[in-house]
Amino acid sequence: MAGDAPWYEAALLVGVTNALNVVADSPLESLEPASPSAEAQTVFTEIRAFYDRADVPVAFRRVASDPGYLADLWGAARRVFTDNTLTRRHKEALAFAVSVTTRSEFGTAFHLAEMRRLGVGERGVMEVLGVTQMFSSYTKIADTLQLEPDMDHIAAADPSPAPGGTPPPPRTRPPEAP
Amino acid sequence: MPTVRLRDAGEYPEPIQKLFEVAKAWFKYDFAQPPAMSRVMAWDPELGAFHGRAMKRAMTPGEFSRAEKEMVAAVVSGVNACAY
Repeated sequence: MAGDAPWYEAALLVGVTNALNVVADSPLESLEPASPSAEAQTVFTEIRAFYDRADVPVAFRRVASDPGYLADLWGAARRVFTDNTLTRRHKEALAFAVSVTTRSEFGTAFHLAEMRRLGVGERGVMEVLGVTQMFSSYTKIADTLQLEPDMDHIAAADPSPAPGGTPPPPRTRPPEAP
Repeated sequence: MPTVRLRDAGEYPEPIQKLFEVAKAWFKYDFAQPPAMSRVMAWDPELGAFHGRAMKRAMTPGEFSRAEKEMVAAVVSGVNACAY
């Protein structure tokens, strides 16, 4: 996990996971169009193929009355869950951890199913759940005692530029006073 | 600022100081003082032993690598808005 790229990727994944969960877990059944438009159906077909399942996850169905929005939301979700610096399998594990931590009923069940579909065994599920539970403990202990970060200096800063960008010019030291 | 005074490693009994050495090896980093969380968990060695073993068991490479698990831990900490 050296460098910043995997961490940027993980953070974006956390955001999109939470975005899907908040809609799926809210009482928004009435927003699901009874007859989604042809444009929405096209997106649904992509979603079914990506997840290799017959139904469309509720988080997407509930925004289908605006097919343009649905397409963009799906594009973001597909992007963050596709293999990249992090594997899709690992990303599902992260999304599962986020969902458990935020008590998302939809996200927990959905990402657990996705982890299993992608080959994570019961031992692997327990590993992710164990880490999630242990760090749900440590974080609350740290917050209660208002502990300050003391391990953030262990990893070196990543000097690489933004994707497609150019490295920053070398920093020059200001002239020293005589 | 912490709401308690974090004790230096030298203020703990010797058996606990040995555990701090184990923690140092776990993190593969030579801390001037053990991490604050290690010192907090050492306050109650009985709890710390159970909790520490459960944590180590969860973090040991298995189906997921240690690095992958560290990222799960970081994500959980982030979602819990824990700066530590």
